[in-house]
Amino acid sequence: MEFKLQEIPVRAHEEFAMLRITDTVRDCVAHSGIRNGVVFVITEHTTTGITVNESLPCVEEDIMETLDRIAPEEHSYHHNHYLPSYGTIGGNAPGHLKSLLTGNHCVFPIAEGRVLLGSAADIYFCEYDGIKDRKYMIYMMGE
Amino acid sequence: MVIDTHIHPALFAPICTDANRFGQRCDEMNYHLMKPSDMGLLKEQYALADIGRVVLLPEDCSAETGTPAISNDEIAQLVAIDPAFYLGMAAVDPRRVDACAELERAFAELGLSGLKVNTARLKMYPSDERLRPLYALCRRYRKPILFHAGLCLENRALAKYAHPMEFEEIAQDYPDVNICLAHFGWPWVQETAALLIKYPNLYANTALVNFDGPYQLFEKVFRQDMGEDWLEHNLADKVMFGSGSPRIRPVRSKRGMDSLGLSPKVMDKIYRHNAIKFFGLEEAE
Repeated sequence: MEFKLQEIPVRAHEEFAMLRITDTVRDCVAHSGIRNGVVFVITEHTTTGITVNESLPCVEEDIMETLDRIAPEEHSYHHNHYLPSYGTIGGNAPGHLKSLLTGNHCVFPIAEGRVLLGSAADIYFCEYDGIKDRKYMIYMMGE
Repeated sequence: MVIDTHIHPALFAPICTDANRFGQRCDEMNYHLMKPSDMGLLKEQYALADIGRVVLLPEDCSAETGTPAISNDEIAQLVAIDPAFYLGMAAVDPRRVDACAELERAFAELGLSGLKVNTARLKMYPSDERLRPLYALCRRYRKPILFHAGLCLENRALAKYAHPMEFEEIAQDYPDVNICLAHFGWPWVQETAALLIKYPNLYANTALVNFDGPYQLFEKVFRQDMGEDWLEHNLADKVMFGSGSPRIRPVRSKRGMDSLGLSPKVMDKIYRHNAIKFFGLEEAE
């Protein structure tokens, strides 16, 4: 059994964005030497998410707008207060909640050196608190 | 285009190359668990709020700390990266033996655009005789003064030295010098508003960082602590937008300001025109 980890930097150029990372994950697996196993895609942050969905602009808009309705910017959140541990105002409660809804990772099988995904499925890194420099991990296990 | 009149560049990467100095600065200014940001990233963040010009604020309590937390040279270094975008203020600890010479150097050689004074941090009242030679230099060089006013979240700072009413004497004694009370003098916002209606040379900025999120905070300060029409009808020519970054992201501060629903004419004054007037910038900007 082999274990391989890649850390991928990413910057969305918008405050809120869904970035398609399917090709990056596929390339990483293809170059890993692992033929059969699993791959985990995991974000390192608490105001971002990793998810799978169909890569249509209309679907992406519906996802982001639905998340906005569930966690609107203007709501009065417990997190909206001065945080002495940072010296800043906690202004990103919606990002934390959207991250909770999306989840921090996805898992896929690796078979014959390829990532197995449904025909309509794409992998996304979701930015809910941009613009920031972010990282996600691609962790591959197998042989 | 929006002008942000209140940004502390404590986390700007070009001046964060020395880890010890960066740590000392963050401890002094009370910023924690944050990393330096590259200039490209910062500009992308400002663009989210349509910010096209940023005023950078230094910090000098070097008589107490040994070195300025953010020096005039560091401000000049950042301005030089993009002079059309950044406007730099100077700061001088008046207890320095070379205080006047340093301010003159900041104006004449470094080309900085005004004086930032934090009397809460210096623990001296604005009318302190040690500060007056610096005010006189601002008059001579026709440079504005931006005072920290009200509560200061930095360590070793006392708000009593920055109560808005403490600045009245300076507004009166230097009528030809533009003066800004930052943070709207919070929590003494009515006192700040009172001074604004009396002194033509006095301005305030909106760098509010204290309770709740920006929507709740701006509503509380500008709709409840003040009369609903004070900004729209009385103070439209006296208030400038300022975020107070990095304690709050500029785009969030602007959302709070936007949520007040002021008329487009007044918003343009607060976001842009009043700062052009205050800093003596070209109207085209």
